[in-house]
Amino acid sequence: MSGDVVNESRRKFLLGATSVIGGAGVVGAAVPFVASWQPSAKAKAAGAPIKVNISKLEVGARMVVEWRGKPVYIVRRTPESLAAINAIDSDILRDVDSEEASQPGYVKGSARTLAGKEEYLILVGLCTHLGCAPLYRPDVGAADLGGDSWLGGFFCPCHGSKFDLSGRVFAGVPAPTNLEVPPHSYESDSVLIIGIDTEVA
Amino acid sequence: MSEEKGFAAWLDSRMPTLKREWNRHMAEYYAPKNFNFWYYFGVLAMVVLVIQLVTGVWLLMSYQGSAEQAFASVEYIMRDVELGWIIRYAHSTGASAFFIVVYMHMFRGLMYGSYKPPRELVWIFGMTIYVALMAEAFLGYVLPWGQMSYWGAQVIISLFGAIPVVGEDLVQWIRGDYLISGITLNRFMSLHVVAIPIILLALVVMHIIALHDVGSNNPDGVSIKKYKDAKGNPIDGIPFFPYFVIHDLVPIVVFLFVFCSILFFMPEMGGFFLEYANFEIANNLKTPEHIAPVWYFTPFYSMLRAVPDKLGGFIVMAAAIAILFVLPWLDRSPVRSIRYKGMFSRVAILMLAAVFIILGYLGVKAPTAARTVLTQICTVLYFSYFIGIYFWTRIESTKLEPDRISMDGGIGAWKTIGAILAVATMVILPIKAVGSEGKSCGTINCDPFEAQLNNDASLQRGAQLAVNYCMGCHSFKYSRWERVADDLNIPHQMMLDNMVFSGQKIGELMDIAMPSDRAKEWFGATPPDLTLVARSRSSEWVYTYLRHFYADPSRPLGVNNKVYKDVGMPHALLDLQGLPECVRGSSLATNGGVKRDLLTGEDVLDNPCGGYEINKAGSLSPEEYDAAIFDLVNFLTYIAEPMAEQRKHIGKMVLLFLLLLMVPVILLNREYWKGIH
Repeated sequence: MSGDVVNESRRKFLLGATSVIGGAGVVGAAVPFVASWQPSAKAKAAGAPIKVNISKLEVGARMVVEWRGKPVYIVRRTPESLAAINAIDSDILRDVDSEEASQPGYVKGSARTLAGKEEYLILVGLCTHLGCAPLYRPDVGAADLGGDSWLGGFFCPCHGSKFDLSGRVFAGVPAPTNLEVPPHSYESDSVLIIGIDTEVA
Repeated sequence: MSEEKGFAAWLDSRMPTLKREWNRHMAEYYAPKNFNFWYYFGVLAMVVLVIQLVTGVWLLMSYQGSAEQAFASVEYIMRDVELGWIIRYAHSTGASAFFIVVYMHMFRGLMYGSYKPPRELVWIFGMTIYVALMAEAFLGYVLPWGQMSYWGAQVIISLFGAIPVVGEDLVQWIRGDYLISGITLNRFMSLHVVAIPIILLALVVMHIIALHDVGSNNPDGVSIKKYKDAKGNPIDGIPFFPYFVIHDLVPIVVFLFVFCSILFFMPEMGGFFLEYANFEIANNLKTPEHIAPVWYFTPFYSMLRAVPDKLGGFIVMAAAIAILFVLPWLDRSPVRSIRYKGMFSRVAILMLAAVFIILGYLGVKAPTAARTVLTQICTVLYFSYFIGIYFWTRIESTKLEPDRISMDGGIGAWKTIGAILAVATMVILPIKAVGSEGKSCGTINCDPFEAQLNNDASLQRGAQLAVNYCMGCHSFKYSRWERVADDLNIPHQMMLDNMVFSGQKIGELMDIAMPSDRAKEWFGATPPDLTLVARSRSSEWVYTYLRHFYADPSRPLGVNNKVYKDVGMPHALLDLQGLPECVRGSSLATNGGVKRDLLTGEDVLDNPCGGYEINKAGSLSPEEYDAAIFDLVNFLTYIAEPMAEQRKHIGKMVLLFLLLLMVPVILLNREYWKGIH
């Protein structure tokens, strides 16, 4: 029978077609298994935006709140601190203009805040080096942090990274980038929402 | 190509076992060419095994094996884990699919004498797999910690109490507690997830090695080793790879089509794959009204019930499985295949199939006197097959076995259909004879209810009613506010303002403030969580229940219910409906119809509560009340399985894809097999 002759090209084509469609099927079947590793509704609920009342925060003080299991630092900077941020010697900072920093687009300038909200610094309190929580060291001229050149900032006790009072990283320390600014917006002057972006017109 | 060859050579010189075993079991394993439909179920069992292993591993990532968390964690997988419901339904469907496939595989062995020498060990390993599989399935069914999990475990574990002397101590040792508790659940999870799967896998390997050492049987039951070609390969055999691998792709795709049809369109399979009562959390103080094991255990469960003695029932059930192990030594026929056995063997094997199905059917039904008699008859017939085969296989005259296998043997399509019809008749007639069903909604028939899960307006009104009227006492604690808002197209802020209880966030579970222990003090019973009520009770039941409250001054709350007699719940929708009071009316005859006077043809008004009248009207007219109840039950149906619409939508795409895959697979199979005769 002529139909019995092995048709190699037909076999090859059909093997290819079966493999391609079957392969697509395997990829499709993998979807639920991959998707199920995403944060679940429970995790998303736990990581939902938080509201913080900042009206009681004193000038120069810092508060720590938890968002998605991470510490978020809110610092109410003094006028002197704000002046220091602008005046700081740009050579001692690695990324003065926060070009490589992880921060929302609506956060601007050396203060790294929304326009008009320069007083309140909002940072994810995890060092960009290996994730320790940096210490808040507003004490100007601290001897252990370089004396006169220290104008206040954050110091990571794990590997010695230093950041200024805008969370900008110093040059010559292990941390590669500035501290992260989380998405945030203001519901009112005294209520801050962390986790929801400010809508930019 | 040459690079591949280079790598293959490199690998072969370092690990020759790989190629040797590949050849032994695949490329140079010669299987008979005349495999038919019945030979697909071995490879399908492997497919199901893989499905169960992969989905099982993934379920364990989100499942929590504690009495407090198990039930909620299963609902967490179903609702909160992205596409987790596919994984869970695949695992639950896979459990039943495993048994369907294995029962077909075993019946194939019975028909073609695959247990006879030299394949006794293959059969015994296979039977051991079957027993391990039953253990695995039983242990797994306990894990969701629903009512059937709990009471099924209670019954099965109590079986061991039938063993004389040590029974009761043994039962307590298995439980590790004075009742089935979280301790039992923990050890069952460990066995289900680790111990039994390892044993199963080892047994499967042994089963296949034992088979490949002696070679596969075939529908003719004659050896293919007699005639060999110049290279020493059987001329009636063909290498497993690539021929049977490609050949098996067709049934695999067909199987996946059926599997996905069930998974996406009827995951409960009418209560057979997922029992309705298991959507209610385990309660050690209340047995469900009707308790039956999952369908794959019911033939043996029937035999247990057939014997009016605790120990006797246990022995009969154990013997029904044990007798299969010794089958190779019971069948003394000179031929293997049913094709060449005598007429008596042919009729007997059909009878065995029918008896097994009847026993399975009766096992899911509540026992009645007539059913018990039928069960006893079937149990006797079941055992007489295995005892009788010892004698008739020696007496009956057999046909002459052919020298070589035949490609066109067997009874052909028409006679196969005839055999199936014969089994069906043997199954249906006795079942019809003993049939009788009670009313499905308490003392009355259920009112018809057809959910409209795409009707957002109805679902939104239903959600509002549920929050305002139900959530005073009942929680919906497996669902989240946000999910309901998103699915029903309710804006978050509107949901927060009008429905979510103050202090709760939109992402939270729909729990209520009433502590359950206090509620028990106040009402006598904790108002049950309602997330799954439409699944555990059915939407029709809830719909009927809410429409059949009536005034009954003898009850402490002044109302009673026709569907749930003497229920502890007040008529929560009283101000909407008003209070229905009983009026004389017709009642239902035993045949389910309305009783009528034989002479006048008018309804007999012999029921003191055959109808209602509302003297003090509520805020809604009767029509408006019915519409409101429809909305409420529609919402309850939605929230019991919020992904139902998504499930069907994905299912359609999956089935279309499998149809597409079928085309090249069929053509490929035809191309490879066109020259095989």
